[in-house]
Amino acid sequence: MSGVQMRHVRKQSPRWVLPSVTSLDHVTEAVAAPMMDRPAGPRYWIAFATMAALTLAGALGIAFSLAYGPGLWGNNSAVVWGFPIANYVWWIGIGNAGTLISSLLLLTRQKWRASINRAAEAMTLFAVSMAGIFPILHLGRQVYFYWLFPYPQAMGVWPQWRSALVWDFWSILSYLLFSILFFYVGLIPDVAALRDRPGKRGWRRFYGVLAMGWQGTPRQWRAQRRLHSIMAVIAVPLVCSVHSIVGLDFAASLMPGWTESIFPPYFVVGAFFSGFAVVVLIMLVIRWSMNLEGLIVPAHFDVMAKVILASAIVMGSSYGAEWFSAWWGGERGDIRLVVYEFTGDYWWLYLLMLAMNVLAPQLFWVAKLRTNAWALVGVSVGVLVGMWLERILIILNTLSTGYEPSFWRTYAPTIVDFIILGGTLAAFVLLFLILARLIPVVSMYEVRDLLADERQA
Amino acid sequence: MTAVAIATFDSEGAWLRARTRAIAAGHRVVGEWLPYASKAIGSGEGRGGILPWALTGGAIGGFGLFALECWTAIVSYPFNSGGRALLSWPAFIPAPVEFAALTAGIGGIVAMFVQARLTRLTHPAFDWEEVAEASRSSFVLALGCTAGDDANAAVALLANAGATHSRVIGL
Repeated sequence: MSGVQMRHVRKQSPRWVLPSVTSLDHVTEAVAAPMMDRPAGPRYWIAFATMAALTLAGALGIAFSLAYGPGLWGNNSAVVWGFPIANYVWWIGIGNAGTLISSLLLLTRQKWRASINRAAEAMTLFAVSMAGIFPILHLGRQVYFYWLFPYPQAMGVWPQWRSALVWDFWSILSYLLFSILFFYVGLIPDVAALRDRPGKRGWRRFYGVLAMGWQGTPRQWRAQRRLHSIMAVIAVPLVCSVHSIVGLDFAASLMPGWTESIFPPYFVVGAFFSGFAVVVLIMLVIRWSMNLEGLIVPAHFDVMAKVILASAIVMGSSYGAEWFSAWWGGERGDIRLVVYEFTGDYWWLYLLMLAMNVLAPQLFWVAKLRTNAWALVGVSVGVLVGMWLERILIILNTLSTGYEPSFWRTYAPTIVDFIILGGTLAAFVLLFLILARLIPVVSMYEVRDLLADERQA
Repeated sequence: MTAVAIATFDSEGAWLRARTRAIAAGHRVVGEWLPYASKAIGSGEGRGGILPWALTGGAIGGFGLFALECWTAIVSYPFNSGGRALLSWPAFIPAPVEFAALTAGIGGIVAMFVQARLTRLTHPAFDWEEVAEASRSSFVLALGCTAGDDANAAVALLANAGATHSRVIGL
């Protein structure tokens, strides 16, 4: 991250590939060589070992939870959802953003997606995998989680299709598998390039199998491009519906603060918001660690920061709409909840959430800060923290002060809650570290196309 | 056809020029390989298309799961859930919609594999080093010809059109 202020941002018609990238082959080598030719350095292995250790700690936390039950968590008789559901909503939000970003930018023909779409889609796969852990943990009797799947069994029992939990199961399963297919379709030409590149025989065979005989003939390119577009058209409503269903988990209930029709779209915007924050962090790390300054340029960060800023404004408006609805509707439970948010047990977390989600991104009104690495890191991490606080506070504020005062309880997480959350964070980074040594983290063929376009222009 | 004249180009423009000239000179293009999806190749689908397969896959998945929901909730396991109707169709919609998207994607990918003739892990073209180069950086054009003067003329044409490398491969 040397040179905190990135250079080469142009006010008009930005270049998405720097002039230092001179040829199509240069693009391929810039992405493939660090992965295939250069051994992973000590920094990589230190990061790998640290993340592996933290992942192991998280796995132990899960193992203890399975052995001794949810009593190890901070959940109580009133706040029954606690960390597991907040973590689930947070991770699925991040997971939703990757495919949404990639498919939306593809459909709107945003050429700059070429450098970020691969990492964004990988982020989806890993984040959704992390998200999927939590509902299973929260089931209580995890060993029977497969009962969610409809299969003919001796007892003649079928899933309860009216349950939001079953909706979640189908939406996560479908979304994860669809995202894997979407990711793979976009990956085929690049693994074919790695197959054809000089290198170790074993690896070339591995890529050869993944490439499925891809040659790059016009017929194949037409079919791949067509399918990619069709899948993007399917992906956008799929992503919106997946996070809407997560929003409905809350909105379909009768609790104060949850029964709001704004929840599904509000959750989708929140997903987009936190997802872009993660993409910014991932792209900064990739750019710095793999020396990809020529392919991931300041203009990319400039435009992503603008998206974060716009999303922050929508998030702020959503919070305002919640407060207004409570006041305008006149429902006592809702008004009490809004007052509790600002003055209750978690008031300081609520204000911190507003500061991170609404105020901090306003820094991006200043053009220089949109390409300043430290500002990007600070705001993105702030957004991630803010969005996690939003997820946990949706649960805590409502469940701590439901309709029945005798049932009011505050919530305090335990060390096991934090260990499991930290474990999933470490596993997410660990999976990225492994991915960075296995497949190109930047889409080579799309950047080649972009370079050719910029040359012509 | 007893030989192939094959050439590599370092730009899309040079490849297109060579292609136009070769066709005008009466040569038959027997193979083309590109490093990215050039706009010059158009967007037409092959026979059968991909969209109908995706739609069919989506319809099978979506309606199939909805039918399963109805059958299990009404016939196989009629469970009184707080007095709600056995056929609670609004609550039955989310899962089939999500699943339909997945099966549409599966239908589309099957169609793409068929159309792009993928899963052929071995092919004579893989023995030509020019084709390996195409996936990384070059545009490659192959013309069918007969060994001898015809092949030499084809190679000369490709070289004059801006090929960075050209040669004749005997069949």
